[in-house]
Amino acid sequence: MKTFQAQVIARRYTLAAALLFGTQGIVALLGAADLIIPDLPSPIPYEYGRSIHLGLAVLWPLIGTMGMVYYFVSEDLDREIFSLRLARWQFWLVLTSSLSIYASLSFRLGRGREYLEGLPWSYAGIALALALFSYNLIRTLVKHKQRITPAAMIMSAGTILLLLFLIPNILTITNPIADEATKFWVVHAWEEMAFELTTAGFLASYLKNTGLAGKKDIEKWLYLEAALTVAAGLFGTGHHYYWIGFPAYWLIVGFTFSFFQLIPVALLVLMVHKGLKKRPKLGNRQKLTLALILSSLFYHVTGASLLGFIITVPWINLYMHGTYITSGHAHLALFGSLGFLVLGGAYYILSRGTQPDHKTYRRGILAVLALNGGLLMMSTALLIAGFLQAYRARYLGMDFMEVNLKLNLYLIARAAGGLLFTSGDLLLVWQILKAWRNSRPAASDS
Amino acid sequence: MRLRTFAWIILLLVGAFLGANITSWKLPYTMPENAREGKTVWQKNNCISCHALFGNGGYVGNDLTKLLERRSEDEVLNYLTDPPVMRPNREHLHPALETADAEALISYLKFLGDIPTLGWPPEPREVRE
Repeated sequence: MKTFQAQVIARRYTLAAALLFGTQGIVALLGAADLIIPDLPSPIPYEYGRSIHLGLAVLWPLIGTMGMVYYFVSEDLDREIFSLRLARWQFWLVLTSSLSIYASLSFRLGRGREYLEGLPWSYAGIALALALFSYNLIRTLVKHKQRITPAAMIMSAGTILLLLFLIPNILTITNPIADEATKFWVVHAWEEMAFELTTAGFLASYLKNTGLAGKKDIEKWLYLEAALTVAAGLFGTGHHYYWIGFPAYWLIVGFTFSFFQLIPVALLVLMVHKGLKKRPKLGNRQKLTLALILSSLFYHVTGASLLGFIITVPWINLYMHGTYITSGHAHLALFGSLGFLVLGGAYYILSRGTQPDHKTYRRGILAVLALNGGLLMMSTALLIAGFLQAYRARYLGMDFMEVNLKLNLYLIARAAGGLLFTSGDLLLVWQILKAWRNSRPAASDS
Repeated sequence: MRLRTFAWIILLLVGAFLGANITSWKLPYTMPENAREGKTVWQKNNCISCHALFGNGGYVGNDLTKLLERRSEDEVLNYLTDPPVMRPNREHLHPALETADAEALISYLKFLGDIPTLGWPPEPREVRE
């Protein structure tokens, strides 16, 4: 199988994403401990630790996605990307900008905007990296326009949308309503629209290469699925606008399009289900990747789509919004559906040309099980805590702090889930590093 | 569906979405200067990590959207300039603000209280009854 230089460059993106994911688990665990151990001494106070956790949650998938798009666009077009030099510069730019966010937050310097906590110039750096990325992809598609495939086009469209929705977030917006709304262009529109497009190439390629779906079957539906994802993902952002000062018609828009978000997910699940019924013979590398993809699909259906839809019903949302239920949903949707998929892509790319032995494969599966177990435990604890908050504080009107002080048991359960999750996190990162090391000669030879 | 159709659909959807957003985020009245300063204080002190506005933000502190309907300005000023211990900690105090910053923050919270939020935060059962 031919290897393009873009695919070799993609390895550094996916490796950096995996390492940042490893850090993410440790930071999150420390934050969870801070909530249950009173007066826990820490060089970084809780509020900045949380900012680092949220910042990492968005940026490691972004860096991984960049690598995945380069890898699968060149594979899909069967051509090299337009500029390898730009791809290398882009990597250092996005990595430095992301690391500058964590460094500044460690020194208690931030912008106080949830999920976009770093200083504006760090986001300007990330936007510039996305601009280079979009330019490189557009020039690649123009250069090889006879070879454009739906997957390559959709991944490129997703990249441009990532850039478009980040740009307003570099600016300082005084209008608090606009400030809230534009924040959700990253928190929601990135996650539930743009990233869905950028990861489509990985799924399409995996399904084709493993024989789980035919090329024609995939390409027949890909544009339609992507158009539905964009419509539902964009206007589904409306469920974040219910109470921020937007007009009442957004209650209907947000709710309706949140329902439509279920359709592309259902189509994807059907396609994978149909493929799995063929019982294809898979190697250990493909099976481990499949375990990560299936984990993602599970959370896509349950935590992101179904739970997400239930809590977007306006009269339910009025009570559930802003409680630990939102946190539980965010973990399931952000890590559950997107994180697992990016990890699947990272592992698939970094293990190319190798096949893990049985022992390594079993460790990989153990890591996936620990990640799933930890995530389910954390989310369940958060959902119960959130339900109690909603019922006692929002419905009965009990004092908020009194209610919160009685949630310690669930926060301990969340921290225990976090410990299991972080163990899986570190074990999987270790397996990915091993795969990277073993596949290095294969990647550099070609 | 073909490439060109897909591209047009995306352009139209994004245009409609951005247009609908811009026409929806109008403020009830111009934001006073001290409220703007208060927004800067809010962000500089990273208040969002623990507290929420419009239900968005941290979960360990209370939502402050309509705080001044429940607490007097003096009470809030005292709290911010001479902060208490944050339970369940025994020593860890709530971060303290200078009086000028605390006043600016109160102006910001006052301004936010005038934004129509379609019923947010929800009224508890006793209040409704």
